[in-house]
Amino acid sequence: MKGYNGLSLLKYLFILPILTLISVIFVYPLIQVVIASFYNIRMGASKGVFIGLDNYHLIFSDPDFWKSVNSTLIWTFCSLILQLIIPLGVAILLNQKLKGIHFIRTSILLPWIVPMVALAVSMKWMLLPEIGIFNEILKNTIGTQINFLGSRSAAVPTLIILNTWKLLPFGTLLILTALQTIPEELYEAARVDGANFWRQFIYITFPLLGKMIWFMGFLVLVWNFNTFDTIWLTTEGGPGHIMQTLPILVYRRAFKVFRFGEGAAIATIGAIFLMMVSVLYFKFLSPKKEDEG
Amino acid sequence: MGTKRIKNFLTYVGVIVLLLIILFPIVYIFISSFKPLRELVMSGTGFFPQKPTLANYVSLISVRTPIRNFPVFLLNSLRVSIGTALLTVLIASLGGYGLARYQYPGKGILAQSMLLVYVFPTVLLLIPIYRMFLNLKLLDTHLGLMIIYTALAAPFCTWLLTSFFKAIPIELEEAASIDGASKMTIFLKITFPLAASGIVTVAVYSFIISWGEYMFASILLSSSGNRTAPLGLATLTAEQYIEWGPLLAGSILIILPVIVLFFPVARQFIKGVMGGAIKQ
Repeated sequence: MKGYNGLSLLKYLFILPILTLISVIFVYPLIQVVIASFYNIRMGASKGVFIGLDNYHLIFSDPDFWKSVNSTLIWTFCSLILQLIIPLGVAILLNQKLKGIHFIRTSILLPWIVPMVALAVSMKWMLLPEIGIFNEILKNTIGTQINFLGSRSAAVPTLIILNTWKLLPFGTLLILTALQTIPEELYEAARVDGANFWRQFIYITFPLLGKMIWFMGFLVLVWNFNTFDTIWLTTEGGPGHIMQTLPILVYRRAFKVFRFGEGAAIATIGAIFLMMVSVLYFKFLSPKKEDEG
Repeated sequence: MGTKRIKNFLTYVGVIVLLLIILFPIVYIFISSFKPLRELVMSGTGFFPQKPTLANYVSLISVRTPIRNFPVFLLNSLRVSIGTALLTVLIASLGGYGLARYQYPGKGILAQSMLLVYVFPTVLLLIPIYRMFLNLKLLDTHLGLMIIYTALAAPFCTWLLTSFFKAIPIELEEAASIDGASKMTIFLKITFPLAASGIVTVAVYSFIISWGEYMFASILLSSSGNRTAPLGLATLTAEQYIEWGPLLAGSILIILPVIVLFFPVARQFIKGVMGGAIKQ
């Protein structure tokens, strides 16, 4: 840093735009949404009428809200488990010396960059009963059909798998990064001692990955909790509200029936819940010192 | 030796299965976009089109009504995405350079908050942003969308560029400084060009983010002439009778530019993310 250490205000010009942007688009709305949750707002522009905690009373006595909480929890935790295990397997697979590894790694990034909207609307066609390709395959192999997006029991797992597919690249990339920091000598030493693949994984790979898996688990948890596109663009929260998670409920309340105050209150409750989960996650699950890679 | 060969074999089988799962939906959408309607709505017509046709694309582009005007939607998306990419490059390279070169009070938190915004529940933003944009007359404008998309892309890009700028030797800048160049001149003439590969990566990333975004577009845009392509595509499924052909063609028109832009920078991108992730 030598030569640039002179106190100057000019250096703040560099970070001013990004900080302004973050403040205006993330921090300020955070305050506004909490304020709005105490108002009855039926029109976007109006300030509305102050009603104290009425929105919250209304929501807590609304069965739709509790169903939504339930859907959100199922969605978030089932997705989380799959989205930790599968990328771990894929990353171990891709950590081998393979021909064409660059092409393979680039290809597996595809789900991440493909816009969800294009995938979702096409998937609706591919998942149709009778004419959809997946049911065609099922019909020809096991002779049965699944109404993937139309039945309550199938829609949840279908969307979880779709979302797992979409987030696979991200998790894989992170774990692959961590894997590549593990020195090859550790494995060689273990092999000399006669440790097989499984034992190497349990005693070397997994402990050294602990921190990255923990970090990734947190990101994936938050992202799943906040998923909107995957659900809205395929079933709009259906069938029969089974996939109406909190973000979907907020969107509906605010922009379909124009109850902005109520929507703001649901969003606030969701955010507080997420914050509590995060605190617990950091407090109880954060990797111990000796696990750090 | 035998077990090693088996392991190798299993690895390749695994990779092939993986690639099938990854590529299948995208490839199948692409192939099917050339199928005539009859094959799209009947079972047992096979993986490949029996009578390949461009009819879906032609219909998507040429059947134009006010609420379904795909060429205009694509142009709107292009406008918004290019605008976002330019804004993001400007803001993120300034911020990344600052964080790489200068000391600020609370710099650690500043740098971390670039990533912290990505655990922020975006749905929390919908209502206040809508109301704020309504008051600022930014509702139903492309500028409004560009601002939101820049906010979504720029923090990550700032983080990415910080490490790119750190990799540029400071001696180069010092030499220019001795020659009397101002800080901004140094930044624009020396550092910025040297970080070109990072800048391109950031431009592509922000373009991709805005090109496919749906949620904010759906609440901020109201008039059909302003719609972006993702919004236009989603409204195709809202019709009583869904035309699957144009829908698949539209999906491909949204997916293809993203892939074409991404592949050249993929290596840089992976390197940037992986390099940054280790330091985290």
